[in-house]
Amino acid sequence: MNKDYLIITNNPIVRESFTNSVYLELTLEELLVKVRDMVHQGHELITHPLGASIRMMFSPYRSVLLSSYQKEFNEFHVSIAENSIEDYRKNTFNRKTDYQHKDDYAMIDIQLLNEAINEHERLKSIN
Amino acid sequence: MKLELRKIKVTDLALGNEMKFENGLLTIDPQVIIDGLMEDVNVKSVKVDIAKPGDKTRIIPVKDVIEPRVKVEGSGNGFPGVTTKMEQLGSGVVNVLSGAAIVTIGDIVGFQEGVVDMWGEGAKWTPFSTTYNIVVDISVVDGLQPHDHETTVRIAGLRAAEIVGEVARNITSDEVEVYEMGSIFEETNKYPDLPKVLYVEMLISQGLLHDGYIYGVNSQKILPTLIHPNEELDGAVISGNCVAACDKITTYQHQNNSSIIDLYNRHGKDINFMGVILTPELTTLEGKFRTCDYTAKLCKSLGADGVIISEEGYGNPDSDLLMICKRLEDSGIKTVLITDECSGWDGMSQPLADTTKEAVAVVSAGNVSHVVNLPPAEKVLGNPEAIATLAGGWEGCINDDGSMKCELNAVIGSTSEIGYHNLTVKLY
Repeated sequence: MNKDYLIITNNPIVRESFTNSVYLELTLEELLVKVRDMVHQGHELITHPLGASIRMMFSPYRSVLLSSYQKEFNEFHVSIAENSIEDYRKNTFNRKTDYQHKDDYAMIDIQLLNEAINEHERLKSIN
Repeated sequence: MKLELRKIKVTDLALGNEMKFENGLLTIDPQVIIDGLMEDVNVKSVKVDIAKPGDKTRIIPVKDVIEPRVKVEGSGNGFPGVTTKMEQLGSGVVNVLSGAAIVTIGDIVGFQEGVVDMWGEGAKWTPFSTTYNIVVDISVVDGLQPHDHETTVRIAGLRAAEIVGEVARNITSDEVEVYEMGSIFEETNKYPDLPKVLYVEMLISQGLLHDGYIYGVNSQKILPTLIHPNEELDGAVISGNCVAACDKITTYQHQNNSSIIDLYNRHGKDINFMGVILTPELTTLEGKFRTCDYTAKLCKSLGADGVIISEEGYGNPDSDLLMICKRLEDSGIKTVLITDECSGWDGMSQPLADTTKEAVAVVSAGNVSHVVNLPPAEKVLGNPEAIATLAGGWEGCINDDGSMKCELNAVIGSTSEIGYHNLTVKLY
């Protein structure tokens, strides 16, 4: 069965683990821009593009769930996607991405992704 | 519900050959803690040390902080649903080793920060530089999965708090704090003219290193829920979050939740404090909509006139904070938000990741991006390599004299969004 979501990711271990992942060799900032562009095209945000702490902004990796279907432009989702980029830039302009711990960040990212997919599956609405 | 917290003041701490408390001096036999924690087959080794206020000691990476206590009357010793059998919390008598804290360290991932400096500049920013800290460093057996690793370290900290708390069982307390509140109807009959106020406490609920627990239930799996404030003061809420060092609510801070205590202090005077709603901060937008709608519905159903909301973390939880605010204000319920700010090194940037025009009463717990200078420590408890994680974030952050610059976001409890910290807000 086709999934109703896409995983937009720059995390190499997510690419290996999920057939429906869209792997992009991008920085986290570029990935957030890509997510924003897809939301403009009508994909809905299933997960929030940002993590829940500042430390996760120094991660090289992030995986975001978007709907695989496209609907009408959703202003609320666009505003979240836009604000996420602005917030990311604000918090990282004077900080370096923490590549030293990239394997740990990759592991945490896939763990949080799995939790998000579970949450989504539990909540799945009728579209 | 009536809860008595009998505070036994700890004014000194030492390692010794027995567990005892005498004239303010708490003596810890490390072997007793080690033997207790080694009963868990997932624990490979345990190191116990102490850190006192003023010591030139740095503790890193801190996972959790827990207050040692023992319940001497009533049900629910320990942490029911986690370390002990399920019991109702919120009533009875608890002997508290006030001024002492269990501080657990044990890095589950390499990028954990969470520093407590016991002296100097760093000490100014964390509330746990003034506690007498029993530092428990937990290593787990090889091959343990990250989730099991986190669980093992979390539970070891709680058990250590129980073991140390037992010392207080037969000690007479210096002061007693009583927290008593009847049902919402009883209290409203007593204070019919006072505004009815609820406290919404948000908990990060997103997965590994980003979890909170209520009676052992992962808050990811709940709808927002009403609890009696005494239950939280009695140990019902436990931290499983160890990434957001500055605004992670440690278990100690749940046990001593400043927002709850302040609301209690004003109960019957200028407000009618009705209780606490624990609200998970989920990852998915649908999940956020559900919890925010449900939280607002609970507040409306209970007839709140005003609501205080505290956040945990930063980033995507900002959306939840503001969505709850909007829903409540649109319903005519006055809403005050407690959050921290990521407003850049100069404090001038937009403070939150999201905005709403309804957020007109916001208390700032501090700027997490504020840069502090930490001198080299004489003694490091934990993983010295984690210090490099603190710094290294930008050019020039390590000074020639070995001191380093770090942002407040690395300092445990520095910008606590429930208000249990050292920063304050002043009008000028």
